[in-house]
Amino acid sequence: MPLRAAIRVRRGDHVIDVDLDVGDDETIALLGRNGAGKTTVLEVLAGLLAADGGHIELDERAIHELPPEQRGVGLALQDAMLFPRMSVRENVAFPMRARGEPARDARGRATQLLRALAPAVDPDADPATLSGGERQRVSLARALAGAPRLLLLDEPLAAVDASARPALRALLRDTLAAFDGPSILVTHDPVEAMTIADRLVLLEDGHVTQTGTPAEVRNHPATRYAADLVGVNLFEGVLEPAESGAGTLRTSQGDITVAWPDGLPFAVTPGVRATLGPAEIAVHAERPEGSPRNVFHGVVQEVAAGASRARVRLDTAPPLVAEITSGSIDRMQIAVGRPVWASFKAVEVRLMVPGNESDTL
Amino acid sequence: MRRRLPIAVLVLALLGGAVVVVPVLALAARVPWGRLLDTLTGEGASAALRVSLEVSAAATVLSVLLGVPLAWVLARAQFRGRSLVRAMVVLPIVLPPVVAGVGLLAALGRRGLIGGWLDRVFGVQLTFSTAGAIVAATFVSMPLVILAAEAGFRGLDPRYEQAAAVLGASPGYTLRRVVLPMAAPQLVAGAVLAWARALGEFGATITFAGNLQGRTQTLSLLVFQQLQTDPEGAIALSLLLVVVSITVLVTLRNRWITGVG
Repeated sequence: MPLRAAIRVRRGDHVIDVDLDVGDDETIALLGRNGAGKTTVLEVLAGLLAADGGHIELDERAIHELPPEQRGVGLALQDAMLFPRMSVRENVAFPMRARGEPARDARGRATQLLRALAPAVDPDADPATLSGGERQRVSLARALAGAPRLLLLDEPLAAVDASARPALRALLRDTLAAFDGPSILVTHDPVEAMTIADRLVLLEDGHVTQTGTPAEVRNHPATRYAADLVGVNLFEGVLEPAESGAGTLRTSQGDITVAWPDGLPFAVTPGVRATLGPAEIAVHAERPEGSPRNVFHGVVQEVAAGASRARVRLDTAPPLVAEITSGSIDRMQIAVGRPVWASFKAVEVRLMVPGNESDTL
Repeated sequence: MRRRLPIAVLVLALLGGAVVVVPVLALAARVPWGRLLDTLTGEGASAALRVSLEVSAAATVLSVLLGVPLAWVLARAQFRGRSLVRAMVVLPIVLPPVVAGVGLLAALGRRGLIGGWLDRVFGVQLTFSTAGAIVAATFVSMPLVILAAEAGFRGLDPRYEQAAAVLGASPGYTLRRVVLPMAAPQLVAGAVLAWARALGEFGATITFAGNLQGRTQTLSLLVFQQLQTDPEGAIALSLLLVVVSITVLVTLRNRWITGVG
């Protein structure tokens, strides 16, 4: 494993005790509520916070005693933290200049990185004039500019407008997939985690409570938090053209009909991920009539009732988790073992297509 | 309609304004315009102007060179007795200048703690020399640089420095490329205030460095001396210092004096 870390931090009554192993080319998402210790773990890895115990090995080199600037880590923060009084290009060139590369080379490489990651941003612009999404793009370019061995991203989408998020999320996913080394994404957003990361690491009160692929965590959530978190439906498979404007996503567990993403050539596309919010799924006692393209029949496997709403797990093909009101549970007498119908609209499915920035997600 | 302020407050406010404004206006009213040019270009005046410019410029450079690193340590380093150190280094702001001069004599005079040693080993005497006037001006003006720079450093989000470190920048590179440029407005403000203070220095200079024409006699000292023999000449020289002070105020108007853009 290129990254092996055991991190122990004590803060008053709180103890953070996290072991992390991340493979080359692997992206893990560190998921947890506020205060779970996600950012602390990141700060210890980056060298900004001294751990009370443990060790960090990057490429078989112990780095936990090194100052941050000697660790070979790239970092992009929620608030981008682009340096004022420097142009966008100078910001991206900063890590190279800090290592003593000649100004010409550094500027040239910064311009290339910006062209790839932030083509709409003027390299000579003042960072203060950029939008939240543009700042994150520049911040990502700057994190990569130092040719780091480990990439750390702390809530990179949290400060970005909802409208700019899908494109940035796609860019993050493609960039992290192309990055030659381990990367760690800290987030509290399950959609972000499941669409970008190869593996989820769930952190609760300073301890890892579950780790696994998005599908593993979704199918077997180990804790209540995990279940709440990944209540979102995730599909992975090959997208095939169907009738005009629509496609069929063929997964190993069944097919669903989706709206064809804008800008994607109308052709068979492998490696597509899709998510569907549990609240978008309607549950019926009888076969529904009307427009929904996606209608599935299945048996209730699990009912997790809250005060006003409940999550219902169905053994449809593909398996679904629906969120419905407690009133519907009573009215339809939904209980484990009862056969029901589930439906959702094709347009509610959000697609992540590799290399396509105009994701509908 | 705006509420009217109590008459008593208005009267006091008016008096307060007069206390500050009248002396400056009176100065302008009494200026001997006819011989202004002669006075300002006279031998004593031009020598004093030269000494003033040399001393204040050198004191400003020294204040920035030594005061900015000290401000950085005060703003970022954690050590016991930091507030005591801060109180000590800004003491010259409230210290009577003549006391500052006596202190400098005790330290750097010919029989002083360090001065005696300087004299014996290097044959250097600071008293009654331009260097001595520079030391006196630095003593009183450096605290202004320290205060302004420390406020500037404290106002910086430390996450910029953290980001720079993770991106591979050494502490020195971070200071040069990130911290100093971001704190530049406060550093400039501190330097300008220090320069103005050094230009007006009187008490510490006359006590420690004396009043020697061409060496330690600054414009301020010359004004005081002229007042006894040639009051009109003193007023003409004072006008020069007023013009310099107003220029400083105007320069700093937006970033320091009003506190708002």
